Amino acid sequence: MHNTDEDKQDQEIQALLKDYPMPEATAGYFDQALVRATHEGSRRQRNRWIMTGFGSAVAAGLALWLIGGFFITTPELPQAEATIPGITIALAEPRTINLVFASAEALDAATLTVQLPPGIEMSGFPGQREVTWETSLAAGKNFLPLKLIATSPQGGEVFATLKHDDRGRTFRLRVDVS
Amino acid sequence: MATPNDIAFEKLVRPHFDRLYRLAWRLSGQRAEAEDLFQELLIKAYGKLDDLVKIDEPGPWLCRVMYNLFIDERRRFARRRMHTVEEGELAGDGLAGLPGTQNPAQDHERLERLQKLDAALSMLSDEHRVVVLLHDTEGYKLSEIQNLTGIPVGTIKSRLHRARARLREILINDGTFS
Repeated sequence: MHNTDEDKQDQEIQALLKDYPMPEATAGYFDQALVRATHEGSRRQRNRWIMTGFGSAVAAGLALWLIGGFFITTPELPQAEATIPGITIALAEPRTINLVFASAEALDAATLTVQLPPGIEMSGFPGQREVTWETSLAAGKNFLPLKLIATSPQGGEVFATLKHDDRGRTFRLRVDVS
Repeated sequence: MATPNDIAFEKLVRPHFDRLYRLAWRLSGQRAEAEDLFQELLIKAYGKLDDLVKIDEPGPWLCRVMYNLFIDERRRFARRRMHTVEEGELAGDGLAGLPGTQNPAQDHERLERLQKLDAALSMLSDEHRVVVLLHDTEGYKLSEIQNLTGIPVGTIKSRLHRARARLREILINDGTFS
């Protein structure tokens, strides 16, 4: 049963919630989003047609799939230079890369750390050279899309490290900027 | 150059931009995620233009598609929580640029309470946070939340009750309420 204090607090909470602000979209954002949607939407439609033979599992708009058997190899083994995959992205143009982690079992509280070279940023994290997620992994394939943006033409290597307890796996990706 | 499809698409979706952007923000809680969600919705909707033109009320349809995109994303990364070296700067970016009044002391107190509310909201589960924000902040009716989420009204009521109770508990513990 509610007492008067709780009723008063509920009213205050509801008043606070009503007052909880939300910023406007930045100037020009809607126009840019619309242009990107029509370009990307058209591109995906074309890709869907082209990629019919590959089945629906491969989503359009992907720059690259990095596939790792996360718990197949432990401890971590160094990857040979020759095996480092790479992509080329245009300056200041966001590009999505999909990392695929295959895990033999469902795992809670795994951490994924992405380290970025100077001049490469993750969308939404301007200026940050390292971003870490805590995430759960399902048994089987787990997909992580990373949206990268080149802010300078120098390029470099992106490292994505997945850790759980004392086990881990690092992916390297060479990013060149055109 | 805009194609006839592009023009038709813009005519259908642009009237709903403000509402959709607000929904994206309330679902995700941060600008970068909200903008990604909004963008993904437009791309997806563009791919379904043939369906969209046949719908009498595109607004609710677009909202449902956005909600489903949000849920799909959360399922893939069930416990996606950012922990970065600049975590403090990420939280509550909705409070940046909060408009002031003529009373700086009052503004300061309001900002402080809203920051605490913001922190408390971030401690709720997605299910509770979304329901309380849609209902108490955005003013959605229970039936509108049901149409959006597909969740029965009884469950929505229960989540709303629990969310408010949890907010009260957090705000008492942090000293916002005595």
